[in-house]
Amino acid sequence: MPQFFLNKRLIILLVSIIILVALIGFSLKDRENLTWPEQFLKDTTGFIQNAVSSPVNYVAGFFENVEDLQNTYKENKDLKTRLDELARLESEVQRLKKDNTELREILDKKDSLSEFEPKQATVIGRNPDRWHELLIINKGKNAGIEPNMAVITSKGLIGKVKSSNTFTSTVQLLSSMDPTNRISAKIQAGENNFFGLIEGYDKEEGLLLLKRIPYDAKVEKDQNVITSGLGGVFPESLPIGKVVDVVPDEFGLTQTAYVKPGADFYDIGHVMVVKRGALQPELMEMVDEKEEEL
Amino acid sequence: MRRFLLPLILLALFIGESIFVQVTPHDLLGSGKIAVPHFLMAALLFLTIFGSKKHGILYGLLFGLLFDIVYVEIIGIYLFLFPVIAFIATKLMRILQTNIAMASIIVILGISLLETGVYQMNLLIHHTDMEFAVFLSSRLLPTLMLNAIFIILAVYPFKRLSEKFADSLNE
Repeated sequence: MPQFFLNKRLIILLVSIIILVALIGFSLKDRENLTWPEQFLKDTTGFIQNAVSSPVNYVAGFFENVEDLQNTYKENKDLKTRLDELARLESEVQRLKKDNTELREILDKKDSLSEFEPKQATVIGRNPDRWHELLIINKGKNAGIEPNMAVITSKGLIGKVKSSNTFTSTVQLLSSMDPTNRISAKIQAGENNFFGLIEGYDKEEGLLLLKRIPYDAKVEKDQNVITSGLGGVFPESLPIGKVVDVVPDEFGLTQTAYVKPGADFYDIGHVMVVKRGALQPELMEMVDEKEEEL
Repeated sequence: MRRFLLPLILLALFIGESIFVQVTPHDLLGSGKIAVPHFLMAALLFLTIFGSKKHGILYGLLFGLLFDIVYVEIIGIYLFLFPVIAFIATKLMRILQTNIAMASIIVILGISLLETGVYQMNLLIHHTDMEFAVFLSSRLLPTLMLNAIFIILAVYPFKRLSEKFADSLNE
């Protein structure tokens, strides 16, 4: 037995495994903010990435433009057919917007869940190992970005801010598998809305899973899925995608919809971080109230 | 100056991996196949094999920590695997000859160990639910193919670089 403890290498291995487990446990726990050495390192590397990524993006952008040119003729045809429809839609949107503000004034209701202010940011890095789908963007706390804000591209929701440092932030994509990654969403089905939670991602098919839809909801293909704004952090009606398929869950109590995301999770250059206009309920407040009631 | 060239190249590879993933299409080697660049690991192993063993493991620790903090946000995965694989490479080099072909095989072996190790750890902390057979065909194989191309291109320059680095340490 004493030999066992004298084996220096074995002791080092055991101690390092203990430290490893402790470190992983520490970083997995629900942290509001990263520790300052982490933030410092992320900001410093972010500075270098920022300097490198702009010329790289320029060159990559050039090749993309050349590719775009080849499709221009076909695209132009398609767009022309949709242009007439657009003018009609635009006037209708104008009218509805005006209606909405007038009605709101009558009701004296100022806050709306769908109000938000977008902040532009550029992607300067991406996790190469592709297990944890994380992006690094070039705006941080000094631009007003805080954890849990929604991140969108022009085509739809792509994820949320996981952590923010002074000059950079990390974005967790919807496609990354994390048990704590849940988004309250609703399906627009004509007059009705069906609520559910986006939980998980089917990597092979590239589809998001919208779970916990009521069992009697009549969800159909091609219905739009948007954020509901009920999660407390995201604003309402950010587009997510379209329903592809609906299946009952394993116990038959709820349904699961497969949603094709509107945004591309790979080809991301510029993103918008969304700060919601309505006040966020403070978690601490809610907890305190409950405890008092009890 | 020659002493700082190699760490700078390692840093460039560290940043380059992220840029590589950003600019290349995601289905580079067929749809549904995920090819992960492990250029940094390859360079670290070349340094361990041709240059200095001690520095290989040390830089493994350093860049492992940096990788975890900057890209993964879970400290411990690469921090553990980079130096351990470099250590295994030093053990293997005692038995085997140090030539280019042998080194390339060991680097391929190291990268497959790294990818499998990361997969096992992610399985453990429930960040993936991929099955092992799926992992083999859709991740490990494309990853090894991509990195094999890098190794063929980089083995000779890195051999020279590591040897020069080792010389500059002896001076």
